[in-house]
Amino acid sequence: MSFEMVIGIEIHCELKTKTKMFSGAPVSFAKEPNTCVNEIDLAHPGTLPSLNKKAVELSLTACKLFHLEIDRLLRFDRKNYYYSDLPKGFQITQQFFPVGKNGYVDIDVDGSSKRVFINRLHMEEDTAKQFHRDDVTLIDFNRAGTPLIEIVSEADMRSGKEAAAYVEKLRTMLEYGHISDVKMEEGSMRCDVNISIRPIGVNAFGTKVEIKNLNSVNNVERAIEYEFERQKMLLLSGQSVVQETRRYDEATRTTVSMRKKEGSVDYKYFPEPNIFPVYVSDEMLAYVEANLPEMPEDRFKRYIHEYQLNETDAKLLVSNKALGDYFEQIVQLGGTVKLTSNWLISEVLAVVDQKGEQSFAQWMDPTFFVELFELLDKQVISSKQAKEVFTWMLKGQSPKVTVEKQGMSQVSDESLLLSWVEEVITANPQSVIDYKNGKDRAIGFLVGQIMKLSKGKANPALTSQMVKEALSKR
Amino acid sequence: MANNKEMWLQKAHKTIDELHKLQPKLNAVVSFVDVEKQVDEAMDKTGPLAGMPVILKDNVLYKGVRATASSYMLDNYVATYDATVVSKFKEAGAIIVAKSSLDELGMGGSNITSFTGPVHNPYDLSRIAGGSSGGSAALVASGAVDLAIGTDTGDSIRKPAAFCGIVGFKPTYGRISRYGVIPYASSLDHVGYFTREVKLAAEALMLLSGRDDKDMTSISTPLENVVEVLDESLANKRIGIFKNVLDAIDDEDTRALFFDLMDKAKEQGATLVDISMNSNLIKTVLPTYYIIANCEATANHSNLDGVRFGTHEDGDTLEEIMTNTRTKGFGPLIRKRFVIGSYGLMDENQELLLKKAQRVRRKLVEATEKMLESVDVIVAPASSHVAPKLNDPSIDQLSDKYLVAENYMVLGNFTGYPSITIPMGMKNHLPLGINLLSKAYDEKTLLQIAFQLEKLTGLKGLKAKVEL
Amino acid sequence: MERISVKKVHQLAKQLMFSLSEQEAKDIVNEFDTLLSQLDLLNRIDTSDCEELVYPFETPTTFFREDVVDHVMDVKDVFLNAPKAENQYFVIPKVVKDNGE
Repeated sequence: MSFEMVIGIEIHCELKTKTKMFSGAPVSFAKEPNTCVNEIDLAHPGTLPSLNKKAVELSLTACKLFHLEIDRLLRFDRKNYYYSDLPKGFQITQQFFPVGKNGYVDIDVDGSSKRVFINRLHMEEDTAKQFHRDDVTLIDFNRAGTPLIEIVSEADMRSGKEAAAYVEKLRTMLEYGHISDVKMEEGSMRCDVNISIRPIGVNAFGTKVEIKNLNSVNNVERAIEYEFERQKMLLLSGQSVVQETRRYDEATRTTVSMRKKEGSVDYKYFPEPNIFPVYVSDEMLAYVEANLPEMPEDRFKRYIHEYQLNETDAKLLVSNKALGDYFEQIVQLGGTVKLTSNWLISEVLAVVDQKGEQSFAQWMDPTFFVELFELLDKQVISSKQAKEVFTWMLKGQSPKVTVEKQGMSQVSDESLLLSWVEEVITANPQSVIDYKNGKDRAIGFLVGQIMKLSKGKANPALTSQMVKEALSKR
Repeated sequence: MANNKEMWLQKAHKTIDELHKLQPKLNAVVSFVDVEKQVDEAMDKTGPLAGMPVILKDNVLYKGVRATASSYMLDNYVATYDATVVSKFKEAGAIIVAKSSLDELGMGGSNITSFTGPVHNPYDLSRIAGGSSGGSAALVASGAVDLAIGTDTGDSIRKPAAFCGIVGFKPTYGRISRYGVIPYASSLDHVGYFTREVKLAAEALMLLSGRDDKDMTSISTPLENVVEVLDESLANKRIGIFKNVLDAIDDEDTRALFFDLMDKAKEQGATLVDISMNSNLIKTVLPTYYIIANCEATANHSNLDGVRFGTHEDGDTLEEIMTNTRTKGFGPLIRKRFVIGSYGLMDENQELLLKKAQRVRRKLVEATEKMLESVDVIVAPASSHVAPKLNDPSIDQLSDKYLVAENYMVLGNFTGYPSITIPMGMKNHLPLGINLLSKAYDEKTLLQIAFQLEKLTGLKGLKAKVEL
Repeated sequence: MERISVKKVHQLAKQLMFSLSEQEAKDIVNEFDTLLSQLDLLNRIDTSDCEELVYPFETPTTFFREDVVDHVMDVKDVFLNAPKAENQYFVIPKVVKDNGE
């Protein structure tokens, strides 16, 4: 019996705003607990929610990017339940009238394109963070109230690869849209997968299992693949799949049961009486449309046409947005396009681990590259020397300073070069004979000798030329 | 001005002394508030509220002072911010001297459910002051203060005003910010206040109302200067007599006082019109209110769980802590209402309960709007009877009694229209009140008519004398 | 709508994170009878032609709060009313299942 998987994905994404969804406290970046809260976030008596304009703009942007129909009348609802990380005892969300519905994204899996439909996108607020320690749980409300969007796909995916492609596509689009930091490892993007299996040819859905809090695209794929096998084994051995929530265990690469779903919870949804329906004006919509950020496909096309990069390089720079941004920064400061892309792709990516949490620009001043390329262009240094200069750039020293301090200026002074040429030719008469006998490698040998003599500073191209000339005259 | 400081400080202390004297009789104060710093900061202010001692119902937050909402749950809760209405008071130079008792969490019509015990009516200590804003009503009626804030969700200002013989006013929904006011039912809650004369009510409105960005139900509709145009004759005013209510009142004295006042109004040139709504419809006011109010209140108080503030009971698990805290923290009447509210919110029940009530609300609002099409105000006695005795068993039960005469004022909450109660006379030395309701945003006409009626009753400034 | 049972009343209370005495639960069951007869009054009104009225006024608002920090609580205020706190965290007994919801 052959089975197919039926996969739907729910993504929660923290929005890139300065303040919370319903309060003017800062979205936390501070490490100190409970320093980014106000009475609204702590649900003190008498507080009322106040809707964040930027959160709405970012949600509308997301709706546009994912081709969702926008409901311009924003209506909010209460989702009621009791828990220690939920200060009000309810979450303000959009149950009945999500801001966006009926959209899609196109994904690319093994060369073929597939359209995954998106059921809805709505705004809501995040809960507090809890830490467990021996016998107590500690609560930090910094995260409480952070603006979130929830994106729910249709059950359109049929493999771990498709699911991973979908998540990755959403991730890059949200990143490019400046909507979220989408750092799955940090939790600014959370992914829950709903997977059921059924015999191929059967229309009815099997029992759904929810897999929560997958922290990387790869884990999405692995978790689904494991789960598919697990459910298949159950069914093939005559057992049934239990409706439950599981988590992915990275160490064992398996899914593990978290809790059984005892029927569905009644959240008693009803309209939020403290927020009148809010109407999105023509101006706001126009602003959002006029400011849609460049998407990966567009950046790819632009890199090909505007910068004449080849497809491989363009793809690489697009897939790592931060690197692409850095590339553009350097080019805009005057860096040569081809050199910039080469150096970033080959040299920078090789040592990118050293960067840690910093942005590229924080880690390596973009003007360093501009200087480096100028020095190369003016032939002050050779490409071999450039690699040495780069190691100093990694230590925070600018190319110009390095060249000075290390005395690395390439020698292009023809009279000095000529003296070296004469010196090595005189010292190596055999090379002259070899050259006359048609052995061109004699040139290379003599150039090498000059490089030794000049401690690598001789301009290789010029030196080679002069050696050749001198040999010809002999 | 140093002049003001002396005078105002003296006045505030005198008020506080009086409140202390009244406390054993009325039991209307929950907390006293320090006044020295307030007077310092108010010193240079001018205007009708400058230097005036005022009282806040204890569901209004004043920074640094306990806000208990008369519930054990919040008995130790110290506010860390000011309600917007308090900021307005500070801007106007008013001096807040005390926090007054209310029915627990504002849910009640008698003020006997307060954690600190029942409030007594200053006219007769064996009777209720009414609720939920009974504390504020009793203290204004006693003359200790001229102005006290209340809240009105299902007539909780306008009914106690009648029982205590004073002016009780709630403006249009959204006129006065609810930010910093502990909620009961958000779509019905109004912040309002008590005075002993209509003019002060008009003056206070100018200073306490206004768009507040912190409250997303706050309205921006401009308010004209109601004080300047307050004294306008009744000639050409059309007064709608709410027939359904009058038909449900058989108390002869109440009827006599009411119609007597109406005759006087007619003499002054007002046109009296009988208006009514469908009799089946008006009977739905109470159940519609209970369902909507209990559902919203249940959700609103889910934040009271013993984790971040408020009284706290221990437990071995989170669930134990929350359960112990909420069982001990909420009185039985509150827990009853929450169960009913929760029942109405259940997904399978919403259609028949909450949503049905919300649709009937629409019908009631449409009917009220229609009634007001042909008149400037709708009037009726605020209650069919004087303040009941404290041990009257009919108080606060979910019962069929008083469906119309005792609960019609909730129409003012469903519609959000401005409404005011003023005293209309006495029966056996106990006050009776008349209630007026006008169109949305039309506080002007409401206050104008109330002002004229107040002249006709001769009861401006009516004060109770409490035997100390 | 059927009558409610004492068991159901206790269940509802449990969901609401409080408990009721037996007498309190019985009182609520009795109140429900009153509620049900009041529901009859509601059901006499034909509402098939109208939507729920959630807010007193139905004109939408166009207000949005600008995304600028306007108020952060002092840490001392955050914990002023805290029943149990430690090292700037609120403390509760260990929660066994990480709900995540």
